[in-house]
Amino acid sequence: MKAAWKLKKYLHPYIFFAILAPSMMILEVIMDLVQPTILQKIIDNGIANGDEQYIISMFGLMILSAFIALIGGVACSTYATKTAVNFATDVRQDLYETITRFSERNKDHFTLGKLITNLTSDIETLQRAVIMLLKVFVRGPLMFIGAIIFVYITARELFSVLLYVVPILAISVIIFTQLTGKFFRAVQEVMDQMNTKVQENLAGIRVIKAFNRKAHQIQQFLEVNGLLTKRNITAEQVVGVLMPLTALIVNIGLVFALWIGAIKVENNIIEVGVILAFINYLMMILQGLISSSNVLIQIARAIPSAERIVTVLEEPNDIQNCHEPIKNSPRGEVEFKNVSFSYTKQGEPVLKDISFHVKAGETIGIIGMTGSGKSTMMKMLPRAFDVDQGEVLIDQQPIQYYDLATLRQAIGFAPQKAALFSMSIEGNLKYGKQDVSLQEINEALEASCAAEFVEKLPDREQHVLSQGATNLSGGQKQRLAMSRAFIRKPTILILDDTTSAVDAISEKKIQQAIDSNFPNSTKFIVSSKVSSIKNADQILVIEDGRLIASGTHEELLQSSEYYMEIVETQTEKGGVMND
Amino acid sequence: MTNEPKQGTRTGLERNHGFRGPVVKPKDQKAALSRIWSYLRKQRIGIVLSTLFVILSSILSLLGPLYIGIIIDDYIIPGDLSGTVRMLILLGAIYLASSIFMWLQTFVMVRVSLKTIQRLRKELFEKIQRLPLSVFDKRQSGDLMSRMTNDIDNLHMALSQSIIQIVSSLFTIIGTAIAMFYMNWILAIVSLIIIPLVVYVTKQIIKRSSVNYKARQRDLGQLNGYIEETISNANIITLFGREQETIEQFKKANEQLRTSALKAEMVSGFLPPINNFMNNLGIGFIIGVGALLAVNELVTVGVIAAFVTYSRQFFRPINQLSNLLNTFQSAIAGAERVFEILDEQEEVRDVQDAIAKDQFDGDVEFRNVEFYYNADKPILKNISFHAKAGETIALVGPTGSGKTTIIQLLNRFYDAKQGQIMIDGEDSTSYQLDNLRDHIGVVLQDTYLFSGTVRENIRYGKLSATDEQVEKAAKIAYAHNFIKYLPQGYDTMLASGGMNISQGQRQLIAIARAILEDPDILILDEATSSVDTMTEVHIQKGLNNLMKGRTSFVIAHRLKTIENADQIFVIKDGTILEKGNHETLMMKKGFYANLQNQLQVQ
Repeated sequence: MKAAWKLKKYLHPYIFFAILAPSMMILEVIMDLVQPTILQKIIDNGIANGDEQYIISMFGLMILSAFIALIGGVACSTYATKTAVNFATDVRQDLYETITRFSERNKDHFTLGKLITNLTSDIETLQRAVIMLLKVFVRGPLMFIGAIIFVYITARELFSVLLYVVPILAISVIIFTQLTGKFFRAVQEVMDQMNTKVQENLAGIRVIKAFNRKAHQIQQFLEVNGLLTKRNITAEQVVGVLMPLTALIVNIGLVFALWIGAIKVENNIIEVGVILAFINYLMMILQGLISSSNVLIQIARAIPSAERIVTVLEEPNDIQNCHEPIKNSPRGEVEFKNVSFSYTKQGEPVLKDISFHVKAGETIGIIGMTGSGKSTMMKMLPRAFDVDQGEVLIDQQPIQYYDLATLRQAIGFAPQKAALFSMSIEGNLKYGKQDVSLQEINEALEASCAAEFVEKLPDREQHVLSQGATNLSGGQKQRLAMSRAFIRKPTILILDDTTSAVDAISEKKIQQAIDSNFPNSTKFIVSSKVSSIKNADQILVIEDGRLIASGTHEELLQSSEYYMEIVETQTEKGGVMND
Repeated sequence: MTNEPKQGTRTGLERNHGFRGPVVKPKDQKAALSRIWSYLRKQRIGIVLSTLFVILSSILSLLGPLYIGIIIDDYIIPGDLSGTVRMLILLGAIYLASSIFMWLQTFVMVRVSLKTIQRLRKELFEKIQRLPLSVFDKRQSGDLMSRMTNDIDNLHMALSQSIIQIVSSLFTIIGTAIAMFYMNWILAIVSLIIIPLVVYVTKQIIKRSSVNYKARQRDLGQLNGYIEETISNANIITLFGREQETIEQFKKANEQLRTSALKAEMVSGFLPPINNFMNNLGIGFIIGVGALLAVNELVTVGVIAAFVTYSRQFFRPINQLSNLLNTFQSAIAGAERVFEILDEQEEVRDVQDAIAKDQFDGDVEFRNVEFYYNADKPILKNISFHAKAGETIALVGPTGSGKTTIIQLLNRFYDAKQGQIMIDGEDSTSYQLDNLRDHIGVVLQDTYLFSGTVRENIRYGKLSATDEQVEKAAKIAYAHNFIKYLPQGYDTMLASGGMNISQGQRQLIAIARAILEDPDILILDEATSSVDTMTEVHIQKGLNNLMKGRTSFVIAHRLKTIENADQIFVIKDGTILEKGNHETLMMKKGFYANLQNQLQVQ
């Protein structure tokens, strides 16, 4: 609740609308509330005295109040919408900017899926809640309280009925709302289970068919389906009591009002019009109560959304520029000094005390098993993460001294997962460098052996990729991701296992292209294949987060048993055959 | 990503106010309705009862205002106190009965609807299990998913609520009109005069706002698509320092949504106050005209009172009705989508007297097999080969050459368009499909694991396996080594798809699963592609043990695995280019030898 309140600053620009909307709603409600009183006046003064003039003027008053209510209602709706939509749009914009600037660790902390939910459904929930808050949340309670007050003014003699009806009504609504919440949470639980079952059956249909487990799956589903039906029936049957029950309470109140009214009319204390006004107010009280509790639930639902959004907005970005950062592009000398790192605070370290030194322009091969920490080590260079202990130096300066933009500008990174965007191939390459000529694009495509398939496409580099580039093979995606890194002509080039799906012959060509195109760049090549790194100036062998050996291929064959073992399992006939 | 406002936990207090964008119209409403009826028929006693309760409660709630009018005119105003009390007891009884029937109609209808839905869901699920893979290729899983969940939920809402509400609204409208005319025809006309206005204005607003809603949905869809893509690829944006451009582009889409959302919400927001206005106007006219008539003694005060209550009862159903019909129509359209799946052609049925064997020798022969999805794009062309029982067959060739298709024909994921596949000398189609699949073990390229423990996932290969057998299989697959380090070992819960472990680990579990199945024919489709080379060497030993004595088909990109095969088929563009063992193929100096040599060079 407290957290949600922090979003109020996004309301400031629209504070005028936000105040105007409920004020206009007050206008509408008062006009609605006046009506039964006018009715009472018409009956008890107009009809009773046969005063047509009075009736006509009162009738005019009624029509006027209806129009005023209309103006109030429409204005309220307009301002409420303006406030809510603008508010939500602004929060969304800020949230997106915050997330886009997040460091890897920030993103890991929240997980991407949750961040997407924050930006989409959480914001929408919030927008709906604000509209409700400004419209119905004012209308409901106001109607409820207003009607009670008007009864006190117009039909004070019958007020005692309210003393019984209102508490009973309020308690039933509260109890049922709670009960409903409980029952439907139980339903939702099974519903989630069922959705998971269905989703898994669709995703794993090949496995189910291959193992012939139809009967097994159906059996499991029937259980969930049965439970869901049972819980749902109970829930809806219980919930179904509320409407008839509240109607009954109000109607019984009405019967008593007529009874007490009849006695008081008999004794000439009140006139008939008062009873009629009372009946109308009673209806309004019911309406007001139900819509208030409805809105309360809506708003209660929005609070967790608001809290999640605030948590993201307030998350401190753990990778930022230092004071007066270096803005000169580095030459490419890299040094790791006793670097240790773990993804979580108490977690197992992924990098343990790693030290090495690389001269500008060298080619470095990094080899090790899956999960040994190779990729993590590379992520320290563009400061996707900062080290926990030790230092990373570029040109003998701690990496944190560099301006982030300058640093990342100097690095061409082709990550393990070749993530491409749903735009043209050209657009994807321009991600690497914005103002490039067609010739540069072609050179980059050539260097990564991507040209050979791009040329075959009808619209060549204008070819638009589908989302997730599902229309390309794994090898094709990797080649494009490499082109994107090449086109930057980076000082430091990092290829993180980017040739795993590229055939051996093309890989060879790519290696040659890198050597001739980037003689002065420092090149890091991460791979689990010996053939990809064999010719490097220096090979780093990583096992379980530790640098266990380094040197050239020949040196390592002599010095490292582990390296030899890798080589043995992969030599000669162990190559990879692919497209 | 769904853009519809999600209905979370319901409260039981909601009424159908507001609306949710454009209405989806069913294609053939009549056919769909009669089909829904065929499901509902089993519950017809419930339906008859419920309808009866709806009618009763509607009539009783109409009697209320009528009695109030009578009580005021004939008992209170004349001062008949004992008569008043008598009538009030009757009125109380009417209200009580009305509430009870109102609850009973829900009580019965909820059961009718949910039982029907349960059956429909069961049929749909069973159907999905029987559908051929081509259906899953053709339709996105999100689409199937939404039919199974959203569409069915909507139908439930329509059955359990909309029907009752539509019936009761109709009854209330007609009943009220009759009661009004019965009491006073002049006031009745005054009340009804406003109806065309209500209907017209509501229609106009809905028409306008559905245009705006479409625009809003479009913009929202675009924005959400952009969010999904950029957030999932956020690391690229960071690495390439493209935050500013990405944010600016987001801003454009966000602003576009601001404009269209403002329009859409604004117009639809007018509906409640305008409805309220019509209500007030109607009641104002009734009171005004009624009072003038009362002065001239053409109408009594009690009648005015009754009319005021009636007109409140009257306008709500009119406002609701068009909304209800829309919801109902959308639900019917959803039901149609469900039926569409139920009508899909099922997987091949077994022939009469299909064979079931306890054990297969594993002799496999392809005779001139052809396969295609589109006749003009053949995938396999005239494939013939013979794998003798116990042999290991390696399939080699570029991606997309048809290797995987050959394997999928073998376990009848698809059936050959031409030619025959013989297993143990019999056409594969003459076996019972279930029997055949029970004896063919597969480790697929993109393996899938289910949510549940590691143990349950391995046991999937043989449901009756003991814990010891499960662990033994895991040891052979070299999976035991990592499983024992998982937080709860074999009882560690896996997420759907096994997303909480690495792809390599998923493959190891899938191998263990196949080992446990102990099939007569084994298929390994790139089974170790995501396992690193060192681990692969170990698994290979396990797999070699497994392959011994049973016919095995192996697709692998590592040449070492291929070299030891009894037969190697080089597949290219859907045909067998070369056939033989490693030595003969090397001697031949063809495609295979060329590939091998190129790799030797480096």
